[in-house]
Amino acid sequence: MSATVGIVLVSHSAELAAGLRLLVEQIGSDTVPLATAGGTDDGRIGTSYDLVLAAVRTADRGVGVVVLPDLGSSVLTARTVLEDHPRPDVLIVDAPFVEGAVAAVVTAASGADLKTVADAAKEARHVHKL
Amino acid sequence: MSTSSDPVTTTATTTSTYESTSTYETTSTYETAVVLPADLHARPAGQLARAAAGFTSAIQLEHADRTVNPTGVLAVMGLGATAGSTVTVRAEGHDAEQAVTALAALLATAE
Repeated sequence: MSATVGIVLVSHSAELAAGLRLLVEQIGSDTVPLATAGGTDDGRIGTSYDLVLAAVRTADRGVGVVVLPDLGSSVLTARTVLEDHPRPDVLIVDAPFVEGAVAAVVTAASGADLKTVADAAKEARHVHKL
Repeated sequence: MSTSSDPVTTTATTTSTYESTSTYETTSTYETAVVLPADLHARPAGQLARAAAGFTSAIQLEHADRTVNPTGVLAVMGLGATAGSTVTVRAEGHDAEQAVTALAALLATAE
């Protein structure tokens, strides 16, 4: 089987990122390379440049990585990391955190390419839940 | 369309079209209605989406006058299909029969 697109979940909270990881592994797949960057280096609420950078490297299987930030400084930190380490195959995607992660992981699990996985996360914004 | 006591009813049509490349292409349309044994919640929606992505045929799920592409896990959840309601699986393409069979089986065994 060819390599799978990786997913990085960036959150202010390590618990939120870890909980979302458990959720998407149940709905989607536990075989998709998925890494979390939650909280600060010392475990407080916030975001960490180093944790985001490490998570991107952990999730990278050579066919691209989609980075999903929750909000606020998660977005800023993720953007800074990607600006300092620019790669065409690592994309930060503007998507609702939970829905985007579920859509991205399910799509990646089916063997889709980077653009398809990123689009699935983006389109999550437009899917009604009611 | 026939009805029976079986919760799954299937209709199929097969059309052959002659292509200018001098090859016969067979496109089939299949359709199956499944009465859900359980609510179509997150986990079965994820299973359906992953299974649907493995076929080349165009697949649709229909529930209560709404139609979605089952490769979209969020759209499948958004159908809000509950236990006892009917979901119709329809596919058109070269592997339509296999697609409908696989997805109907997932719907019929959802927990």
